[in-house]
Amino acid sequence: MADKTNVPQGADAAGDATAAEGAAAPEPQGTKGAKKAKEPMSVSRRSLLIGVGSTAALLGLGAMRYAGHTPLNRPPGGQDEAHLVSACIRCERCYEACPRRVIVPAKIEDGLLGMRSPMLDFEAEYCDFCQEENGGVPKCVEACPTEALVLPAGASATSTIIGRAVIDTSTCLAYRDTGCRECYDACPYEAIQLTDVSINPHPYVVEDKCNGCGACEFSCVSMKAGSLATTGATRRAIIVQPVGTY
Amino acid sequence: MAAETKKVAQDLSAKLRTQKLRTAIAAIVFVVMAAGLILGVSTGTMSGFGWESISALCPLGAVATMLATKTMVPRAVISLVIMALLILVVGRAFCAWLCPSMLITRIQEFLRTPKKRRELAAETHDKMVDIAKYEITQAKESAGVKANGLSAKALGATYAAGAGDSAATVAAAATSASPANPINAASAASASAAVATASLSAQDKKALSGCGAGSCTAGCASCASAKQPHKKLDSRHYVLGGALLSTAIFGFPVFCLVCPVGLTFATVLVVWRLFAAGDMTIAVILVPALLIIELVFLRKWCTRFCPLSALMNLVSRFSKTFVPVIDDTKCLETSQGVPCSRCAQVCESDINIRHIAYGERTLADCSRCRNCADVCPTHAISFLVFAGAKAKSGARDGIPAPEAQPATVMLDEDALEVPSA
Repeated sequence: MADKTNVPQGADAAGDATAAEGAAAPEPQGTKGAKKAKEPMSVSRRSLLIGVGSTAALLGLGAMRYAGHTPLNRPPGGQDEAHLVSACIRCERCYEACPRRVIVPAKIEDGLLGMRSPMLDFEAEYCDFCQEENGGVPKCVEACPTEALVLPAGASATSTIIGRAVIDTSTCLAYRDTGCRECYDACPYEAIQLTDVSINPHPYVVEDKCNGCGACEFSCVSMKAGSLATTGATRRAIIVQPVGTY
Repeated sequence: MAAETKKVAQDLSAKLRTQKLRTAIAAIVFVVMAAGLILGVSTGTMSGFGWESISALCPLGAVATMLATKTMVPRAVISLVIMALLILVVGRAFCAWLCPSMLITRIQEFLRTPKKRRELAAETHDKMVDIAKYEITQAKESAGVKANGLSAKALGATYAAGAGDSAATVAAAATSASPANPINAASAASASAAVATASLSAQDKKALSGCGAGSCTAGCASCASAKQPHKKLDSRHYVLGGALLSTAIFGFPVFCLVCPVGLTFATVLVVWRLFAAGDMTIAVILVPALLIIELVFLRKWCTRFCPLSALMNLVSRFSKTFVPVIDDTKCLETSQGVPCSRCAQVCESDINIRHIAYGERTLADCSRCRNCADVCPTHAISFLVFAGAKAKSGARDGIPAPEAQPATVMLDEDALEVPSA
């Protein structure tokens, strides 16, 4: 009952707020113009404006499809670029699922369309198709709820081509006869061979065997061990180029 | 006087107990998911919540991905069915209990200056109370035609006069004098309020001349126009249509790029990567900026824009469970003719539960936030587990069904007759 006692007092206290919307009502002629200016937009017109505006904005955003984006190394099962872009809802499950944290969101600088879609960052790690962690079945593919990452039945690490390693001989340390063979040692698929022309062999990529797993790029020391200083290189001497760019 | 309004506004925010709980739950869920994202624990985000290969997909994402690829995705279909069932039971509860946009709104509220907060609260307060006063006047009028001795106009003025400073004080005094008998109290108040009206200053009269004041008994244009047309589809559905159209034309889930829920988690990710991996990208600024544009500058995102909300509305409109129902025998307005309106002031879904016709949305969009139940001074609002028929006849239309609430009609008539005696 104590509640009830207090209520009328509080609830009725609105009176003096002369400027308040609702209180602007009668005072017939004089205030009418002023009031009309303040009157909110009619509901149906607002709905229409919101609807048309938003649809236009979303169609404009959709047209980004034609703007495209820089080709990216996609996680296993994401090699059909058109399908990946169509199906990915940016739910971020694959980033979490990746035991090596090699999957990262694509940057906006690579194109608005691809922003936040999954790509592989071989500077951080490489993709072993979850050989160690999940018996060769990529966890990202398992986790993807929209089947944006999808592998055909019987797909294996060797049959799934993410990209292809390319050596930049101008920055590669081995080509400066340092004897570096980090990538050769790292490659799990014997896709990097050494020329036996000298005591300092040079690595080269066997294109048929390379599936773009990124082990070579991950292991490449060129940036740490001199290329940056001597040649002004901005990336490692061996990098994986996405499918379709070679 | 202004102090009174401020007091009411502050009291209301203090009473929102469930809001604190909801905010805490949403914050905890968000932090857990964000931590999962950072640490690589496979909890998923709200776009695809789950464990390992199990995911409950965002319903809009599920629809969009299937539309874009033109294939049936089993997990998406299963998710849609589960979501539909959940929404059928708890309506748009996601919006009030889990959605990170809600957290951002809370932060926005927190960042407001106390002055701005009071202003906003006072504005809503005045608007809703005016509507209630107008409706009460209308009700009195229709009832007053039958009553003899006291003209309807006078009574309308009487109730409206409650807005006056002095009138309010007198009314309160009268009520407290006989707290055990609300009817007597109300009539005493109205009698004294009539006196108070006469003694009001010119400025007060101007203030009083809002909806429901004696001067606009014949149907106040401003209040009548405040009624909202409730169509089956509203602006949100147009946004949803636009999103799906764009998805169908261009073949990718367009809205997912700008979804505020997704952008919240994207913010976590880009900021984390900025520090953890030195991953400097313009998205560090762009993503939060987009989020702010959507939630702050596009006013009432959830009510007017959000296509997720639109999608949920398509199912939640059939929900009959856990909806708020007003007990008209307890409600101050129906039992005593007091324009309380607190429930309408605090609704997070822009529903005027007492006078549905005036709210921007109807109970179909109730997000079960429980704000209305929390602030109701007489605890007249309850969320019934199943409120099928009752919700439909009563709260849904804003007009108490006569057979369901005979007490309302009787109380009104009593209030009319006592002063004349």
